[in-house]
Amino acid sequence: MTSFKPSGNFVFLAGMLIALGAGWVGFPYAIYRTRPQPVNFSHKVHAEKAGTKCEDCHAFREDGTYAGLPTLDKCSACHAAPMGTTAAEKAFIEQYVTPNREPRWASYARQPENVYFSHVTHVKTAGMKCETCHGNTGATDSLRPYQEDRISGYSRDIWGRPLANAAFRSEGGMRMDDCVACHRRQGLEHSCLDCHK
Amino acid sequence: MNTSRRKILQFMGGSAVGALFTPVPWRLITDAALWSENWPGVPVPVRGESRTGFTNCSLCTAGCAVRARLIGEQPVALAGVPGHPVSRGALCPFGLTGHHLPYHPARVKSGPVKEAWAAVADAIAKGDRIAVLDLRPGRTASWTYRRAMAAIRNGAYIVPPRPLGPATAVNLAAAKTVLSFGAPLLEGWGTPGNVIALRDGFRLIQVDAVESRTAALADLWVAINPGTETELALGISNVLSGGASGINPARAASATGVSEQQIAELARELTGNGPAVVLDAAGSSAVLALNTLIGAPGRTLVTRRETPVPEAWKKAAPATELAEIPERSVRVLLIDESAPGEYIPWGEIRKKLAANPVVIAFAWSRAGYGRYAQYVLPAAVYPETLEDIPPAIDAVAPVFRMTVPLQAPPAGMVNPGEFIATATGLPRGDALRERSDAIHKSGRGALAAMPDGKLTPVKEMKPEDLWKALNAGGYWMDTPDEKAAPPRLALAGPEAGPVEAASFPLVAILTEARGSAAPASPLMSKLYQESNLRLGPGRAALHPATAKAYGIEEGARATLETAQGRRDIFVILDSAVPPGSVKVASGPGVLDICATGERARVVPA
Repeated sequence: MTSFKPSGNFVFLAGMLIALGAGWVGFPYAIYRTRPQPVNFSHKVHAEKAGTKCEDCHAFREDGTYAGLPTLDKCSACHAAPMGTTAAEKAFIEQYVTPNREPRWASYARQPENVYFSHVTHVKTAGMKCETCHGNTGATDSLRPYQEDRISGYSRDIWGRPLANAAFRSEGGMRMDDCVACHRRQGLEHSCLDCHK
Repeated sequence: MNTSRRKILQFMGGSAVGALFTPVPWRLITDAALWSENWPGVPVPVRGESRTGFTNCSLCTAGCAVRARLIGEQPVALAGVPGHPVSRGALCPFGLTGHHLPYHPARVKSGPVKEAWAAVADAIAKGDRIAVLDLRPGRTASWTYRRAMAAIRNGAYIVPPRPLGPATAVNLAAAKTVLSFGAPLLEGWGTPGNVIALRDGFRLIQVDAVESRTAALADLWVAINPGTETELALGISNVLSGGASGINPARAASATGVSEQQIAELARELTGNGPAVVLDAAGSSAVLALNTLIGAPGRTLVTRRETPVPEAWKKAAPATELAEIPERSVRVLLIDESAPGEYIPWGEIRKKLAANPVVIAFAWSRAGYGRYAQYVLPAAVYPETLEDIPPAIDAVAPVFRMTVPLQAPPAGMVNPGEFIATATGLPRGDALRERSDAIHKSGRGALAAMPDGKLTPVKEMKPEDLWKALNAGGYWMDTPDEKAAPPRLALAGPEAGPVEAASFPLVAILTEARGSAAPASPLMSKLYQESNLRLGPGRAALHPATAKAYGIEEGARATLETAQGRRDIFVILDSAVPPGSVKVASGPGVLDICATGERARVVPA
């Protein structure tokens, strides 16, 4: 049996192809840490059956500041007892409502500390719709897993161009490029300090 | 297949080339950069519901009203208060970033308190000369120091030079012409909100060697040769006095680069478009003396009454300027630089110290007198402090407002007033509350309460309500004393003659002529430096032609030398700096060796 003697070009090419494969297929998975949301929450059910609007739960405070994610108090107002018989509902009541424990939601849209984003300015002053940035999140039936960059700690939704990973698709435009593009379209691109502090 | 070293290297080479065409290296570089912006050492505000708090900024005597956004007990954003009757919503970049200061990397966090205490107690027991140098006189703490120094056998209370006098205020509202010699009138002088509000009422003539921001915004910028402000003032003085004082305008024109005709025109403006006032960033007697010639005292320079104090406090040591203290007389010197104030060059202070002196500095960092003190005691920094702020130079009536803590100071901070009062045996008490009660007892003035600045006469308030409102950022202001005698300017004799130009061919221009050791947010400084809006510490700017003449290139390290000493600098080139001069970032180290107008040289490292 003759032994396989690859040429130098072949070895070089093999190394290159393996690196390309690892870089384009493996790396986009490896760079992100994935964790599920604590509760299988359905925006769709709440919007369609309960008739809630975005601002019913993601409210502005009296002073105009944005309260962000609702706390358990808000959920408990309706879910003091199970509403339905689904496993997700039962788990939510047992794990969070009954022991009065706040769910540790992972916010897809949370910007890093060096960014200042004002919901009031965008929603109240500019009259933008939630969907402009958050996409169709309000119509989804379940929460997708939260993905966090292992090095920077940023949510996958807020920074960087999409890598070659078809399995993941951002729901809206909350990356810096999206912000810049929109500000540019509106003629509101003034300075880095508009958003960065 | 045989695995040879060559094959491994070929494989690795292929992998490296392949990797370059993937997102891996680029993403790792980007992520590492992002990580460095948010690394664990960066203070991160807590998450939670925000609330609003009010205080007054104590970074300078403007004392601008501040609205703070607080998450829990931590301020996360500061802004001005638009409805405020005096500061009118203004807040400078220092004030806007004041909440960064507790995290300043140069902060002193501990100090030899017991040893300092023992040194002071020993000096009191022996009857040695003890002095307090108060860099920000006029506060309630200043009265504590004065009372403390009166309570011991050999105490003295020292204040920085006050060329306009101890209680003189500039009445900008009455001025129709302001002749400013380098005073940063439109970039932080007095109370910025008040100055901007009054700006349309006066013509501003800015005398400056460089086109400062004030010069750019003035009605007229008189560009003079660097370091010749005194000559110009003496030339104007000569015209105003009909030749009785000053120097011949032709000689002044030759020295300053300002034409004889313009010197005469400036003199005419001061008298013809009055009332006028002459201001000087450096506090030069020759410049300020013009005020006497144009009749400013009593009109644009007025005497401001003292904010009421309890009767019992009035048995206090007098305020003595440093120049009046005998040389080699002070055995123990306590320096309060916890509140930013005027910086006095160390060489002038050292002359007053006896042999084997003890110097104790109460400071937020070692960058100021901490470099010379045996004991540096850590002091709280704004916005952790609770104290009142003395009136600004443009406050014509007494005022009283406090900077109230927006967050608690860390453990181990020393309050200079408490330290000195306790060491000298002053009875314990809440001096600020006593001052508030004295104001109430006087029945004078009104209080502007936060958040809307609504004015309530003190007569209509209870003492508790006044105290409560002051602790919520309130601002008490009196009415001007119409019967007060015009101020007498405390002008010194002629300044020292110029140093020989051959040895020191350049003229120094400091970014802040009488700069203080005021802390600045390192983040703000970084932004300003990167955008070339502000010279960073240890930097100096030269005109490209000047730099070329001395063989210095952009970014070079060099030494700034004056007759007083030397300091390492980092040189940048700026064509806006006049040839033959060097613009230097102000700061304690520079102020020790150099003042605006001082002769200097830059030697390449």
